[in-house]
Amino acid sequence: MISISPKALATGSEPLIKTPLDLNNLSPEQVALDINKLNLYYGKKQALNNITMSIPKGQVTAFIGPSGCGKSTLLRCINRMNDLVDDCHISGEINLHGNNIYNKHVDVAELRRKVGMVFQRPNPFPKTIYENVVYGLRIMGENNRRRLDEAAEQSLRSAALWNEVKDRLHESALGLSGGQQQRLVIARAIAIQPEVLLLDEPTSALDPISTLVIEELINDLKKQFTVVIVTHNMQQAARVSDQTAFMYMGDLIEYSDTNTLFTTPLKKKTEDYITGRYG
Amino acid sequence: MDNLQIGRHISGQFNEDLERVINNVMHMGGLVEKQLTDALAAVDTTDVTLAKEVLSNDYQVNAYEVSIDDECTRIIAKRQPAAGDLRLIMAIVKTITDLERIGDEAEKIARVALENFSSSQQDLLVNLDNLGRRVLEFLQASLDAFTRMDCDAAIKIHQMDDKINREYEALIRQLMTYMMEDPRSIPQIMTVIWSARALERIGDRCQNICEYIIYFVKGKVVRHTTAEDMKNL
Repeated sequence: MISISPKALATGSEPLIKTPLDLNNLSPEQVALDINKLNLYYGKKQALNNITMSIPKGQVTAFIGPSGCGKSTLLRCINRMNDLVDDCHISGEINLHGNNIYNKHVDVAELRRKVGMVFQRPNPFPKTIYENVVYGLRIMGENNRRRLDEAAEQSLRSAALWNEVKDRLHESALGLSGGQQQRLVIARAIAIQPEVLLLDEPTSALDPISTLVIEELINDLKKQFTVVIVTHNMQQAARVSDQTAFMYMGDLIEYSDTNTLFTTPLKKKTEDYITGRYG
Repeated sequence: MDNLQIGRHISGQFNEDLERVINNVMHMGGLVEKQLTDALAAVDTTDVTLAKEVLSNDYQVNAYEVSIDDECTRIIAKRQPAAGDLRLIMAIVKTITDLERIGDEAEKIARVALENFSSSQQDLLVNLDNLGRRVLEFLQASLDAFTRMDCDAAIKIHQMDDKINREYEALIRQLMTYMMEDPRSIPQIMTVIWSARALERIGDRCQNICEYIIYFVKGKVVRHTTAEDMKNL
């Protein structure tokens, strides 16, 4: 790397671009999730090949790649959603706080409380807005009305939905628009204070304005949670994420900070994909 | 041009947009090269008609700059270029700014031909000729490297600016001696100095173009770096 002389840099007091994290040498405190030699098979077909990566805490990490590259599969591994798929077996480790989530003794319900997930299409329960948000807390045994009210307000505020729904909390959630429903689902996911939030193409069913609202929300959420997002929209990955991982045919091709990946990718395959030369 | 791989986008329209903008940069480069050649020839042969032609053609260079700039802005807005494509657009936007300024410098040089130099002072202009030829070579080499996006050539010819700077300094020293010897000639000598200065600036701008080529190909910023760093590329 070429160094720019100090004289050239002396003009600005603050660097325009923050120094990216060194993803290969994160300290244990910086790591939220540590994926180690992860292989996944659907029957005989291998869908993930030896994935090793560290996802840093309090940042947004995006997975991009063409359809069928394994990005959603990898995301679903992080809260063991693939357990629900027949004929799916996994080797390797995903460590959350140094504990392998694929360990036999892990309580999957507890894991999913720590690692929340939001899907492509908003899926509110056919209940009121309020009941949707506090649903997770209720099944965890919280019945104190005041605490539920507080949690509902706080989550809806964090999900940038409070001002739009505060006067109709006890109306059906199904009456909300698609963008609002998606933010409601995010509020439901964060109400139980997870550590990691997984977003599987959260805006693919939304209009451009709702998309921007959710993207802005993602940027706010990373102050509290580690966010991992799968998106088909490369510009979205470029806009919202701090790190981007490019996957292709089950391999992790390139994983680096988003600024580098979108301006000077190291691998030819990454360059071809993000510049629309893939195929 | 092979390393541009422009025709490989899935979007045919994007390919066409990029090809069109690159073709325009080539034309602009050709025009600027012609302007400088003509300006130097006009000074060399005191050809007033040719000099006036250079002056009247400068608007074409400016028009190219404006239209390419416009086209690049449109591409950024509509196609969101990334990686190599983005670096290409950035390199083009910067290159055309430098080309436009080279056009302006050529115009300044052409104005010298319109001044009335007495035959005894004609000798002064001979000095400009050498520097001019070297700068023209540098411009041609830079445009050639740009056309092929040849990073190795760009790194090599980047050094040509040092020679130009040395020749420029030598020329200035020589002209100062003339001024001391014959103060009455100062107005004419100043005109020659301004042209020499214009040529030296063209050298700097060619060097910038080489840096943009290196940025496009390698993704590395080599502005404000030492010659030593350049070697380690």
